[in-house]
Amino acid sequence: MKGSIPLVVMAAVLLALATLPYYVPYFYIFVATEVLIMGLLAGSYNLIFGYTGMLSFGHAAFFGFGAYITAMLLMHFEVPLLWAMIASMAGALVLAAIIGFFCVRLDEVYFAMLTLAFGMMVFAVALQWRSLTNGSDGISGFPLPEFGLGIDLTLADPMVYYYMVLVIVVLASAVLYLITRSPFGLMLKAISENPERVAFCGVNERRHRLIAFIIAGTFAGLSGALFAPFNRVANPDMVHWTQSAEPVLMTILGGAGYFMGPYFGAAVFVLLETWITSYTDQWMLFLGIVLALMVLFFRRGLLGTVLDRVMGR
Amino acid sequence: MRTPSIRSRIVRSAFAIAAAAGLAAGTAQAQEGEPVRLGAIYIMSGTASVYGQFAEQGLELAIEEINDAGGILGRPVEYELQDSQLKADVAIQAARKLVYQDGVHALMGIDSSGVAAGLVPTIPELNRSLIITHAATPDVTGKLCNRNTFRISVNINQNMKGAAMVAAETDAKRWTTIGPDYAFGHQSWEFFGNYLKEIDSSVELMDQTAFPRFGNEDFTPFINSVMDSDPDGVLISLWGGDLVNFVRQANNLGFFDKGFEVMMTVGAATEVLSALGKDMPEGVWLSTRYWFGAHDNPMNERFVEAYASKYGNPPSYNAEGAYAAVYAYKAAMEKAGSTDADKVIDALSGLTVMTPMGEVTFREGDHQATVGPTWGRTAGMNEKYGIRNLDPARTFDGRDVTPSVAETGCKM
Repeated sequence: MKGSIPLVVMAAVLLALATLPYYVPYFYIFVATEVLIMGLLAGSYNLIFGYTGMLSFGHAAFFGFGAYITAMLLMHFEVPLLWAMIASMAGALVLAAIIGFFCVRLDEVYFAMLTLAFGMMVFAVALQWRSLTNGSDGISGFPLPEFGLGIDLTLADPMVYYYMVLVIVVLASAVLYLITRSPFGLMLKAISENPERVAFCGVNERRHRLIAFIIAGTFAGLSGALFAPFNRVANPDMVHWTQSAEPVLMTILGGAGYFMGPYFGAAVFVLLETWITSYTDQWMLFLGIVLALMVLFFRRGLLGTVLDRVMGR
Repeated sequence: MRTPSIRSRIVRSAFAIAAAAGLAAGTAQAQEGEPVRLGAIYIMSGTASVYGQFAEQGLELAIEEINDAGGILGRPVEYELQDSQLKADVAIQAARKLVYQDGVHALMGIDSSGVAAGLVPTIPELNRSLIITHAATPDVTGKLCNRNTFRISVNINQNMKGAAMVAAETDAKRWTTIGPDYAFGHQSWEFFGNYLKEIDSSVELMDQTAFPRFGNEDFTPFINSVMDSDPDGVLISLWGGDLVNFVRQANNLGFFDKGFEVMMTVGAATEVLSALGKDMPEGVWLSTRYWFGAHDNPMNERFVEAYASKYGNPPSYNAEGAYAAVYAYKAAMEKAGSTDADKVIDALSGLTVMTPMGEVTFREGDHQATVGPTWGRTAGMNEKYGIRNLDPARTFDGRDVTPSVAETGCKM
């Protein structure tokens, strides 16, 4: 019986998201769109963090790279958005393969530092290659073209864009979920718990970690591709390590132990940001307090703590 | 917490009730007696936040005066203020929030070229008008122009045309620049060079230029490299806290004793002059989009006096821009007889409005106001306000420094 609780909750959440525009103020369509995109970013991140036990501080490199690819393709070639998204995923995949090739050789803090270093290299390129990336101003003012495949969508309509993001994020997350439930995903879990033992069983642990890193990077690229047309800008901030910190914080907020944890964390993060910045500019201070309390008292995250209680774990 | 926050809550709850009452009607359709709501986006945090504070003061003063005189269309005026954090994406979210959450009738503000270039293309989707009061990139009334976007403040074209005319009268032939590493710094140099070459083709625009990152703390290497390259003249487009830091460090390194001409494209912002006081050297050329002592008309007299007595400083160009934009909206909404965005936009296009800078007109072709900068040479101290005087000061007529619509590249 208890096993079906997550499924029921999932169905309720999906229903709530699908009917959202009918019962929230118009502005919350923007908030919800951001939650979904950030949820996908955090969800992809959790494949390497929660499932494989690799603390990366460079995840924004793939997010930002995806955002830049889509922004530039829309700006210069006005390609349909679907193809831009696929190009962003492909670009992020290649970048993740290159960065991952070096990073997965190391563990723990060395892995974290190396991902941070690579992330900041990508940031430096975005900031300084002015003729290509337009420097700190970033790419902006690009048109929103058709979706592609002859599907007629007015992407500039926030409601339409919301539903498009909802469908894509749900599909992408379903793929991520299936990966975590596959034998490959279970192997990642085993690696995070005891890498030596896995290696002694004859499993190529490094290759598993690299593949997980690439998959996570690819989906981060997709979330970047969704974010640029929503935000109307691709700028170096999206590649900066402070952006890399966001999926880490979201995952901790929501809880790394459940697949939906990071998505839930993204929702809490974006909603808190929206509300708190209405009253004060010091939103980072409040976020710091919330995070300190989480880490001290609810290490399993908000969703994790609740689900643990309900499911009697 | 900033002062707007409490009002913010009141407005929001009022809006929530209104929204609950008539959700189907969409966003805030104007009704008799309902307040006219202006949404402003300025930089309210970080090193440049003093610009946002001055703008808010100008905005507040104009709204107070208008409300005392019966409001706009007989309705009281309110404003909502959002922080842009000098980031385009933050400003875009802020604009969406102002329009869809707070139900503002019109938008104004924007401090940085980079922010403006990101935000402006999204304004038509929000179906509101935007009056830019500070950001200076030519693009937003040029290649990125659109029906909804207007600018009441001096842009880079206008300021650099004036700069070139001033520079051409000096003896300097070899020019270089120090500017922030984003659209504003690069475009200032580009337009200055083009205009100066037009007037005097014998000038040399040096390849050695310095573009420190915006918000850079240490300008020493950039100051040294410019001094080593031995120019005749230096165009400096740094602004805000950057310019204050730069001038202090340049003083220490003897930058101003080298005998070359120094022109600061936004140096006569009173925010900067107040911060520097005597540290701003004498004999350098400073520009500002508006100089409180340069405009001889009753509105300016009233504005400067009311502003100085209320806030203790003379108004800066950012204060004037915000103040003028509120009056422009008053004129447009009264001409339109409505706060409906489409009608306000039609009314603004081609509108001539009285501002502290005199009568200015939003050109129909690109929606840029015909305004000109004031360039002046720093002289002794103004003891009353603790800032440098400008003497001589030269105020350019907007019609002489504004390029034709065809040259701007704007297609409405």
